[in-house]
Amino acid sequence: MTATITATSTITDQIHREMPKRRRTHVLPRAAWWVVCICLAVLFLYPIGVMLSQVTPGNVAKVTDASRGISVLQSLGNSAFVSCLATAVTVVASTLARYAFAKLPYRGSRVGFFVTLITFMVPFQAIITPLYIVLRQIGLQNNLVGVALVLATFNLPLGIFLMRNSFATIPTSLEEAAQLDGASTLGAMWRVMLPVAAPGLVSTALLSFFAAWNDFFAALILITDQHLYTLPVSIGILSAQPNFGINFGLMQTGVMITVIPCVIVYLVLQRYYVAGLLGGALK
Amino acid sequence: MTELITRARPRFGRHRMARRRGLLGFLLSVPAFVLLALFFVWPLCGTIYMSLTDWPLLGSPSFVGLENYVQAFRDGQFLQAVGFTLFYTIVITPILLVLAFGLAFLVRRRTRAARVFQTVYFLPVVIGLASGSYIWQFMWQSDIGPTTTLLGDLGILDPTKNFFANFWSAFAIVVGMVTWKVVGLQMLLVLSGIQSIPDEVTEAARIDGANAWQAFWHITVPLLRPTLALVLVFSVAGSLLAFDQFYIMTVGGPSGSTLTAVYEIYRAGFVQFHVGYASALSILLMLVLALVSAGQMLLLRNSDNS
Amino acid sequence: MRRRTTALLAVAALTAASVAMSGCSSSGSGSSSGTVSVWVRDSESGFINKLAKDFNETHSDQKVKVTIIPSADFVQKFGTAAAGGNAPDVASMDLVYAPYFASVGALTDISDKVKALPWKDDMSPAHVAQGKYEGKTYALPFTGDVSVMYYNKDLFTRAGLDPDDPPTTMSEVQADAEKIAALGNGTYGFAFSGACGGCNIFSMTPSVWASGGDVLSSNGMKAQLDSPEVGSVLTMYRDMWKKGVMPQLVQSDSGSNAGDAFKAGKVGIYNWGDFYLSSLTDKENGAKFDWGVALIPGAHTGETASFAGGDDIAIPSGAKNPDGAWEFLKWVTNKKAQQVMADNGVMPIRLDLLKSIYTPKDSRNKVFAQAMAKGKVPYSTIENELFNDSNGVWSTLIQEAVFGSGTVDAAQAKAQKSAQALLDKNNG
Repeated sequence: MTATITATSTITDQIHREMPKRRRTHVLPRAAWWVVCICLAVLFLYPIGVMLSQVTPGNVAKVTDASRGISVLQSLGNSAFVSCLATAVTVVASTLARYAFAKLPYRGSRVGFFVTLITFMVPFQAIITPLYIVLRQIGLQNNLVGVALVLATFNLPLGIFLMRNSFATIPTSLEEAAQLDGASTLGAMWRVMLPVAAPGLVSTALLSFFAAWNDFFAALILITDQHLYTLPVSIGILSAQPNFGINFGLMQTGVMITVIPCVIVYLVLQRYYVAGLLGGALK
Repeated sequence: MTELITRARPRFGRHRMARRRGLLGFLLSVPAFVLLALFFVWPLCGTIYMSLTDWPLLGSPSFVGLENYVQAFRDGQFLQAVGFTLFYTIVITPILLVLAFGLAFLVRRRTRAARVFQTVYFLPVVIGLASGSYIWQFMWQSDIGPTTTLLGDLGILDPTKNFFANFWSAFAIVVGMVTWKVVGLQMLLVLSGIQSIPDEVTEAARIDGANAWQAFWHITVPLLRPTLALVLVFSVAGSLLAFDQFYIMTVGGPSGSTLTAVYEIYRAGFVQFHVGYASALSILLMLVLALVSAGQMLLLRNSDNS
Repeated sequence: MRRRTTALLAVAALTAASVAMSGCSSSGSGSSSGTVSVWVRDSESGFINKLAKDFNETHSDQKVKVTIIPSADFVQKFGTAAAGGNAPDVASMDLVYAPYFASVGALTDISDKVKALPWKDDMSPAHVAQGKYEGKTYALPFTGDVSVMYYNKDLFTRAGLDPDDPPTTMSEVQADAEKIAALGNGTYGFAFSGACGGCNIFSMTPSVWASGGDVLSSNGMKAQLDSPEVGSVLTMYRDMWKKGVMPQLVQSDSGSNAGDAFKAGKVGIYNWGDFYLSSLTDKENGAKFDWGVALIPGAHTGETASFAGGDDIAIPSGAKNPDGAWEFLKWVTNKKAQQVMADNGVMPIRLDLLKSIYTPKDSRNKVFAQAMAKGKVPYSTIENELFNDSNGVWSTLIQEAVFGSGTVDAAQAKAQKSAQALLDKNNG
């Protein structure tokens, strides 16, 4: 079945790399490929170019001016803390849960899976007031850890779904092989499955990070102290003009500041994503 | 499928083994369950309770039973918004999917150039939806937007025309923005699905005489079912819950024609301060979404049969 | 196997414990009697820190802690916090919300305290009226905004009009706008934000008031959207639109683009607020043409009106430090604080102080001060739903009457019916 085929696919890929490049069945010839790709790239990059054109040194100075009590630098730090924590919690919780769903079924696992699914079916506006009250009851209101946990919870369905494909295609033969070597079930998971599931893990981490980093609403409602504000909230305040207006230049400058760390994270993690695809089970 | 193999294997002490593994599985799921119970299920019960009351955000609630739900079905504006949301979802989902596939096949070559293009197409995903909405709204403003002036200079369209004043052009711009922002993510997911299909399978089909299109349709697509299910479920859910892009770019206009379901919920809760009614609308929306997602999952059951 | 499970449980327990503990240590927004938590909108961000600093320096027993919140989300955040039992000690809100919050018991009754204020009769009457509910006072004026008519003097000159003689009636506004639009070449005579309810209750309604009419009866019980004054204002806008005097973007503008068009020098006349001054005089991105301000006119010469906007400041019920909160309220309505606001380009609400601290700062402030003395605000507990909602009754009326294919009368009749239904449901 697919399970066995996947195991051999990574081996064949390596063989392919070592052999001289044989003619692969691509639909487009080289020149056409380049033309199409570049045209699309222009279309994709154009709006970002518009955004960058609004970023002037004057705007950067205005946005980073902390005299109004809101510091972009501090907000950056807060965002980093919240995003990293939320991502870590999401990755750990969804990996463990997904492994359990796939390999270690128990009564009620289906129900649990279903509950996870409906998490992303509820609009956040609807649930924010009771959520605020709950956080207050457990003492995590106006607290970055509280915000991180909330964001992690709402990223869980994404993580569990993404990991599903990775774990589902791992053949049990691998797991059994590891167990024969004397490892426990958990040890098998750690040493053998995780490297193979790496792409799913990295995808989960990436997407959770972006979702947490760009979140505006949860941070806005749940945080009261200004010095705990995350970046999107601070940018929103700093770029507002009195009465219904938005200073567009300031806002785009703020957006650029928000986007750069995400791009860096993506570039860094992308390497592991690709490596995970080609490495893996051979070890 | 894999469960079948797991359960069939141990020949001795089968029940004990399964139960111990079951217990471990349960324990591993505990972190996720704790988070869900605390930050989702418990507040959700609060929302359900709120939906059964008439609660003006800052006043005291009064129990009204199912009256909110009855009112929802009589609420013309809400029903129209739901209709528009469905229309929007039906239009944008195939656009995103087809483009995602196209892009994935485009960048699946293992060259550095392909990797660069992959990053370029993924870049908009990193920007928040609200930021993207502001950028596109500015781009397409008549008279002062860079895109309209550019296209006006090229003679393609009239730069003084207001593209947000007409339903179809406004709708097209919003669809364009969302596609630009989201397709990179779907491309990546499809790509990871494709890359787990070995070349041998497609090669074998080609040797057997199938052309590229047949190979794609009869071999690749069925093998991509789990990926497709993932992409579709999230795409549809996201579209049915659309709010920010319309709130920022069209303000529900022209004349309320682009109001979405969540926009109506927002208006009910935080403009008209009928929080109980807004909660009822949210529960209804959730039920619709659950049904649609369940339907999708059933249709695209994870079948590994090739 | 067993060892692994225990280890896992231990880790889980530790995590839970540390989360709970960190929660305890870093939460808590200062509920001791010495701290006053103050929530303001971002429109106050320019001066609120200085205000807080001055207060903290002159008050040894109370310390103010400021939180700035985006205007668009203020009500949501305040409402959720109040519902969750965690309201701040002081809240500054758009004055149109004050009646609603008072009516649902979200604000503390401060009538007795206000009675003892020496300057209680010297504050902007519109603000004070908004802060009252059923005879009791719940909020004080805090910051002021007024709507006036901005006009592009350069465009006036080019169109053959006298740049120092702005229009004084609605028909003059229309005539002047048409002359400027006749210049062509991307030049327009008039602009407004057609898809923004709140903007238009601010900039369009003064024309109705100046003509002697109103959109709402003064006790907030009856809608007057089908009145002839409202009709003539809508007809004026409609005529200008049909004649191409306005740029196309006004039809869908939700608040920022009409102003940008004026600032870019493309529009002759634009009604907007005193706060627009700072944007026009900005060194980097300001207006690069000569411009002036005048009061918004009505149907006949000599009749002008303005919308008195800005914030009211109140003590939410459930505030943990109401005494400190009142100290702060007293402080911000007094001379020193109002001076700080004037220094930062924000209009004070103390009418008796305007001449001394505000008018001298800029030649145009005289017009603003005159506007505030005439300022009006529609009083209703559902003001937000009726007028601010960009998909509500007021917005729909404007969209249909100005841009739609039907008649102004039909649009007015429809709006009147919907508005009155909402009012009856709310007041009855």
